[in-house]
Amino acid sequence: MSDTLEALRAIVVEDHAVAPERLVPEATLEDLGIDSLGTIEMLWRVEERFGVEVPSNPPALATLGDVARYVDELVAAREAAPGPRAPDDPATRA
Amino acid sequence: MRRRVAVSGIGTISALGDGPGATIEAALAGRSGIARLDAPFAGRLLGPAAAAVPGFDGAGLLEPARLRMLDRSARLALHSANGALADAHDPLADLDPARAGVFLGTGMGGTLSMDAGYETLYGEGSDRINPFTVLMGMHNAAAAWVAMAHGLAGPQLTYSTACSSSTVAIGEAWRRVAAGERERALAGGTEAPLSCGSMKAWEALRTLARADADDPGASCRPFSADRTGMVLGEGAAVLVLEPMERALARGAAVRGEILGYGTTSDTGHVTRPSVAGQVAALRAALESAALDPDAVGAINAHGTGTVANDRTETAAIREALGARAERVPVSATKSMHGHLLGAAGALEAALALLAMERRAAPPTMHLRAPDPECDLDYAANAAREGVEAEVTLSSSFAFGGSNAVLALGRGER
Repeated sequence: MSDTLEALRAIVVEDHAVAPERLVPEATLEDLGIDSLGTIEMLWRVEERFGVEVPSNPPALATLGDVARYVDELVAAREAAPGPRAPDDPATRA
Repeated sequence: MRRRVAVSGIGTISALGDGPGATIEAALAGRSGIARLDAPFAGRLLGPAAAAVPGFDGAGLLEPARLRMLDRSARLALHSANGALADAHDPLADLDPARAGVFLGTGMGGTLSMDAGYETLYGEGSDRINPFTVLMGMHNAAAAWVAMAHGLAGPQLTYSTACSSSTVAIGEAWRRVAAGERERALAGGTEAPLSCGSMKAWEALRTLARADADDPGASCRPFSADRTGMVLGEGAAVLVLEPMERALARGAAVRGEILGYGTTSDTGHVTRPSVAGQVAALRAALESAALDPDAVGAINAHGTGTVANDRTETAAIREALGARAERVPVSATKSMHGHLLGAAGALEAALALLAMERRAAPPTMHLRAPDPECDLDYAANAAREGVEAEVTLSSSFAFGGSNAVLALGRGER
């Protein structure tokens, strides 16, 4: 399991009281009880956790795996971009 | 023909307590819920006194993922609505949901959440504002969550007329039930104004009392010559309204009755109250209830503890009630629960109904030295027992000049 998915699982467990064993990549957000508002909140948490900026209109994300792949894309885009790294980026930690 | 409207349930939470029983007991015992404010910003306030509801966070009202979308004001409202429905013993059974509505008042809506958002943006210099800020800040959120929680599919309305908001909400709900337009209404108000931004704003307007150094609980002293202003409070109160005939037919223990409602506008100054506007509202309430001043057995005053309010209200009661004004106890319960702004009228209406049930009038506490211009019977410093009031007027006079008065009748519980 990727580090990204692991971190996402921690967020969902904390925010939605879902049993961790249900948090497989194929699990749909709907089945996990995460509606459109819950998705917005999750992406807000993702921004902080991964030091990325989610655009105003993110793509439709059906499963936890979709979210993990999207987060990886945002992280990759950030790595490729010039400028200071986000404060949560492990690479900037002492 | 207009139907009689019963109050078949009361739910409330404030600094006086949780639920109608605890609330009226504290009020009749003269126990002030006002205290020194326990908040990180208290040191920035000139008068750090407030009537807070410590320990309440709404846990269990909804699943946590939903509850995070509710400002404290909506949580207080939902808690009170649940309590009111329980007190009324299942008033919605066998009812078409579209025949029931929600009518709530609030002056400042989700001001705590807006304040927190501004702190993030301007205080911390961060752009990471909570994504639910709009949902928590909007004034109609409390009514929306009450309607959703109980499937009330009729009108879902929010009134914001500053300090008369919930008196207006109850009055407007009463009109609809009395007219036969609705069979049930949850009506009341909510307020959670104890944020740094809101308290500093009230302070800047020179309205807030100094915290009493010896006894913070005595910081709000309506009608007393040594008063220094009002004290902000938080809380909510919700009444279940239903046709009296239906309430009695299903064996409900009726808490009381809404008899009439009057609302007027001062049309003068934005903050300075007007005797004429208040007299007109008091008379309008009596007229709508088809009652003479002699029928009035008690008054729950607006009684904020500001010089302007106390003197204007005293003069208005004298003019509207004539000789009867000398013979009714006038209670200023804000001396104990503080000023709940948009929720004040609902809490005071609840107290007025509960006091009639107990054949008592709540005290105006901390009335140490009567203001010579405030010369009515304020039930000073101790509850008046043996009050056989069958009608109580409950008044709310708001900034902006929006006046509202309810005429309330005694129940049989």
